Amino acid sequence: MRPGYSPFPLLLPPSTSFSPLRTPRIARPQQLLFSYPKKRHRAPPGDSPTRRRRRRRRLAKMAEQLYTVASDSETTGEDKSQPSFPDVAIGIDIGTSKCSVAVWNGHQVELLKNTRNQKGMRSYVMFKDDTLSAGVTGGAAKENAHEERDILSGSAIFNMKRLIGRMDTDEVVQASKTLPFLVQTLGIGVRPFIAALVNNMWRSTTPEEVLAIFLLELKALVEMHLKHPVRNAVLTIPVAFSRFQQTRIERACAMAGLHVLRLMPEPTAVALLYAQQQQQLVNDNMGSGIEKIALIFNMGAGYCDAAVAATAGGVSQIRALSGCTAGGEDILQNIMRHVVPNFDNLYAGQTMDRIQSMSLLRMATQDAIHKLVNQETVEINIDLGNGHKVSKVLDHSEFEQVNRAIFDKCEKIINQCLVDAKLVPEDINDVILVGGCSKIPRIRSLVLGLCKKEISYKNIDALEAAVSGAALEGAIASGVNDPSGSLDLLTIQATPMNLGIRANGDSFAAIIPRNTTVPARRDMLFTTTHDNQTEALIAVYEGEGERAEDNHLLGYFKITGIPAAPKGTVEISVCMDIDATNVLRVFAGVVKPQGPATPPFIEVRMPTLDDGHGWCGQALAKMYGKTLDLAVLPKKLQP
Amino acid sequence: MVGFFGTSAASDHCHLLPKNGSVHHELIRPHHNRSRSVIRCCSAARGRTRDYYYQVLGITVHSTPQEIKEAYRKLQKKHHPDIAGYKGHDYTLLLNEAYKVLMRDNSMHAGGRGRSRVGLGVGYTGDGYSSWNGPVRSQALFVDENKCIGCRECVHHAARTFAMDDVLGSAHVEIQFGDLDQQIQLAVESCPVNCIHWVESHELPVLEFLSRPQPKEGHGIFGGGWERPRNVFAAAQNFAKRLEREEQELERDQSSRSPNDCEAETEAQAKARRCAGEELRWKTLFDAWNGLIGCRKPGTDR
Repeated sequence: MRPGYSPFPLLLPPSTSFSPLRTPRIARPQQLLFSYPKKRHRAPPGDSPTRRRRRRRRLAKMAEQLYTVASDSETTGEDKSQPSFPDVAIGIDIGTSKCSVAVWNGHQVELLKNTRNQKGMRSYVMFKDDTLSAGVTGGAAKENAHEERDILSGSAIFNMKRLIGRMDTDEVVQASKTLPFLVQTLGIGVRPFIAALVNNMWRSTTPEEVLAIFLLELKALVEMHLKHPVRNAVLTIPVAFSRFQQTRIERACAMAGLHVLRLMPEPTAVALLYAQQQQQLVNDNMGSGIEKIALIFNMGAGYCDAAVAATAGGVSQIRALSGCTAGGEDILQNIMRHVVPNFDNLYAGQTMDRIQSMSLLRMATQDAIHKLVNQETVEINIDLGNGHKVSKVLDHSEFEQVNRAIFDKCEKIINQCLVDAKLVPEDINDVILVGGCSKIPRIRSLVLGLCKKEISYKNIDALEAAVSGAALEGAIASGVNDPSGSLDLLTIQATPMNLGIRANGDSFAAIIPRNTTVPARRDMLFTTTHDNQTEALIAVYEGEGERAEDNHLLGYFKITGIPAAPKGTVEISVCMDIDATNVLRVFAGVVKPQGPATPPFIEVRMPTLDDGHGWCGQALAKMYGKTLDLAVLPKKLQP
Repeated sequence: MVGFFGTSAASDHCHLLPKNGSVHHELIRPHHNRSRSVIRCCSAARGRTRDYYYQVLGITVHSTPQEIKEAYRKLQKKHHPDIAGYKGHDYTLLLNEAYKVLMRDNSMHAGGRGRSRVGLGVGYTGDGYSSWNGPVRSQALFVDENKCIGCRECVHHAARTFAMDDVLGSAHVEIQFGDLDQQIQLAVESCPVNCIHWVESHELPVLEFLSRPQPKEGHGIFGGGWERPRNVFAAAQNFAKRLEREEQELERDQSSRSPNDCEAETEAQAKARRCAGEELRWKTLFDAWNGLIGCRKPGTDR
């Protein structure tokens, strides 16, 4: 606790030596607190001034404890929140299946509930005649409340998070074709066509639009709760999100009238919450204050992420991040295919009866998976219509067999995380399991087994952790100061993917390697590949692939006016800069030879691409790959 | 803009430092125009030396990784853009760079420097202090100097093997098997407190190392000074275990780094490095060759 913010001076009469310590915010008299300890505070007559002062100090210490107890009541909340409240960013966790929102209410993070008293709101948007309604209110009134059956009827769009910013060649989009609404793909690297069923007609929409509608309703909920407009938000995103997908999320937020203050990877939000808890323990003299290393594993319906964070003194430093697109949705689809072996033939085209039958299957399977968490076996009995009946008993070993590929993926990202953080399982102090799928026994045993731990960290709620962390980050990034020190926190982020440019033909030269601490700035020297080459193409990619084509293209630009010189003599510097808000800027220009004949540097904010970047990369390579190529210049040896 | 790229790093020291007059600002000032002769490692590629990074973090050159981390966190909490706003960007970049270089150096030198991290292992070389007369045998003599009362009996019986340390007031083995076996046996038996032990030869270096007083870690005015373990045998066991673990860590570090390191050079870089290496190797020859040709040519012209 900072001494300037210490609440105890207000308990002392104005004439004492403590008065200069007073801060205006705290010093505002609070009737309740002021009067409460006063009764015990009367000094006996004949006391010497020094003794009295000492006594006061002691009493003040006692009062300090009283104060913290009192802060749970409504008296302190309004005092602290008033000056800082309007600018505080809210925290939003848009999940593939469920979504939640939290705010910093002045002394703690508060999760908001919708009218149906839910903290986790189903993420979908229902299209009906002329009205659109999102899952936040879930159809508002009770009589027309949406049920799972309505959501699966084809007229609601869900799983936006899996579709947003993806090309139609993406396997995640391909897998989404089994969803009840329309997902049409051409397989050429353009955005997929999605549509919802309205009055037996497919009405087209986009994932961004759907997300925006949802966020708009969410924003209305928060504003109703806080009674003032909300502008800024911190959103959590999966680690596997590309920068292009991040821009799509930002676009959706902008459509909903929200300004994105930060997009934080989900496990890092959890790490921040963990840092706060550890710091709290230190403040309560229960923690040791030494560095603690946590492995955070988050698996929701759409994505699966892992992170290693080193935490000390309220600073959580992300040592490694990795993520993949495997989640509950994949598990669900695997089980559906297992239960109905001719699934793909049966549901090839989306006719009305097929949609209905599939929604029945989906609900039954979902239910079975949920039950399997606590039961040894589960029975699936459904009538799919058209005389097609399914009856199957599913047990754990079968479940694990069917989803082996997904568990292998989880294992891979955890191992990668440990290798990247240069740690062994023994170094990990806590294993934090969050997300809906973390309840699956096999996932739990797998993660704990890899980290050689018996139990996972307990004080974190698996479903509320990410959104709480986002709300904390929102408060910190909005500059809120909490006198009790519970916001004295910081997350030091790292980049989840390599960033670089195409060079030496089709290879990928990483300029900022993954897991580099953010903010980061790195540069690399390149040179020309032809004699008298005057132009060079800088194509910026992001990803893990060795070849440029295996990665996500973020943007491209040309450097023109390179002085004519033999190949290999010109030095072109490409510098990448990521700031704390995760904005990527690429600077490029000629650094040798220097002089008035060289062109000015170029600064480009990435990503510059909008859509259809699947084609774009290939076209660039075909058109300019040879003529405008660059080569990596080896680092010069120092004298 | 060129300074931005770090190509003329000498000038960007001041650009990157915050203007708010932090402690580190003043720390760096006196060394601002320091000569470049200190540049010696790869981290100096941008013209910054490790000393400079230590100054950025406000720590001494002898700081442990723990201290580096603490200083880094403390400064991050002050200057990170999340807290200080965008003006903290450049300074945080510098902090990140300093942290990365210093931590990497620490893990790279784990063999030499790294051992000094374990307060126990400073100066442990793996060789014993006593020398051997004749071939190394499986057993060796060791005097538990904690128990030794300094009676000089052993020195009297086997003067070439044992020696008295007058500063510490205890005897120690100077030369293993320096005397005849009978003399040594007599010396061992004559010890009134039985502090002369036969130990396995491979344990000897650790025991001898630990029985020398070690500097103690000081905390301000507390602690510090010199100490040696009360039970040197237990301490030796412990020490051996820690040593083993450290070695494993080192091995693992290397094995995990080599195949799958994100910072490992790409194929293109590797190729470029090979080319450069070859060029370096051949350059002198070529120069000589060219020189020869150059000498000859005018001759033929004439």
